[in-house]
Amino acid sequence: MQRGDGGGERATFDQSQQAGRTFSPDSDNFAGATGLLFEQAMAQTRMAVCLTDPHQQDQPIVFCNKAFEKLTGYRQDEIIGRNCRFLQGPKTSSEQIAKLRHAVDNEDVLVVELLNYRKDGSTFWNALHLGPIYDEDGELRYFFGSQWDVSDIHLARAEEKHAKVMAREVSHRLKNVFAVIGGIVNITGRAMNARELASKINERIKALGRAYEPTLDEASFGTIEVGQAIRSVLAPYDPEGDRIVFDGDSARTEPNAVSALGLTLHEFATNASKYGALSNDGGTITVSWCHDEDRHGRQSLVIEWVERGGPPIHRKPEQTGTGFDIAERLLSYSRGTLDRAWEENGLHATISLPLTS
Amino acid sequence: MKSILILEDEPFIALDLQLAFEDDGARAVVAVNCDEAFELLRTTEIDGAVLDVNLGRSETCEPVAVELKKRGVPFLLHTGDLDRTGEALRELNAPIMAKPSGAEEVVAKLFGLHGSCEPA
Repeated sequence: MQRGDGGGERATFDQSQQAGRTFSPDSDNFAGATGLLFEQAMAQTRMAVCLTDPHQQDQPIVFCNKAFEKLTGYRQDEIIGRNCRFLQGPKTSSEQIAKLRHAVDNEDVLVVELLNYRKDGSTFWNALHLGPIYDEDGELRYFFGSQWDVSDIHLARAEEKHAKVMAREVSHRLKNVFAVIGGIVNITGRAMNARELASKINERIKALGRAYEPTLDEASFGTIEVGQAIRSVLAPYDPEGDRIVFDGDSARTEPNAVSALGLTLHEFATNASKYGALSNDGGTITVSWCHDEDRHGRQSLVIEWVERGGPPIHRKPEQTGTGFDIAERLLSYSRGTLDRAWEENGLHATISLPLTS
Repeated sequence: MKSILILEDEPFIALDLQLAFEDDGARAVVAVNCDEAFELLRTTEIDGAVLDVNLGRSETCEPVAVELKKRGVPFLLHTGDLDRTGEALRELNAPIMAKPSGAEEVVAKLFGLHGSCEPA
């Protein structure tokens, strides 16, 4: 097959592609069959490609493909003969341009992302890959540039960042709302001579607030890490950090399980502070969690609460308080169960919540 | 009687704190922004303070915190976002009370700081 310089005889190569072409195949390396394959490949690829001539004044573009026209909105005859900088605009990072210049000067291979401008003035994020092309004598012949529109990736990154900022803001506001609710409950309790009641309500509200905190800080509105919620809820009951042992994996659960879990753990901890392992000096509590089968054989989140070293228990307490009753009912709405064994050396409780699939 | 400055732009939290300080036998005055706080500092002898960090419209309690530090008046930073206190505030190394926390705990923590700030 005879190679040509872009005459109309080749149906495989769009004729308009040839307009204004200064690329000279007679003297370049894209000779013979390779030259044809090169041209066909360039016409087919969706990757925008151009070649610049480093030996001409201002390093003009001497070749570009169809995809380059499509990406930039310019026709080939408007592209050939110009330096690539015509795609830059006011918001193109000068730092990235300096990197580009440095790479060209040093004949380096470089990938940079820069904001480019189309003919109609619209912008796109261009992942530009450029590098030198040498002839068989090792002489620099061209600079190769491939352009890929990565605007979608940039948008996704920006959205992710935005979502994180939003989650933080929501988290901050939520904490404030919890603080305001606490204030209202206290003030009302004072005014109505029900301060003890008010403080009980507030403790539960605070436990709930702590349980929800990690759901927001994680900035994920999907599932939440159980361990984080458990640690946050129980933190105030172990200020020295030596009474409660946490033993769990990175099991996750639905955010709507958080209120029942948070309140249940709060009741356990309050009970332990009054009567159990946190009511004396030496007691400890081990809290463990994992995904496991519950007593009905369902895949569940299972949390074990084991108190040791507290005052000995001789029999099951006759009244275990309304807190546990509320907790049990809340758990039951999610088909969860709460088992408590009042063993002599301490309370052993198991919370299980079936996983919703 | 000890006088406590409460710098807080949320009325319910301010009132709750004020009542809790009064329960403890202290007098508490409330400012909702830094200008008011400086006015109170000018006219009143202040023995301790609770400062909400974010006061809305991107105002923070920083200038007041700096002034209290200079005067050697014990104070607490009361905030819902520990990370957002800002560099300048962090450098003050002031004790922080995380929101939400009970008003009584805030009172106990402030009076527990070493300094001249015991309950009356």
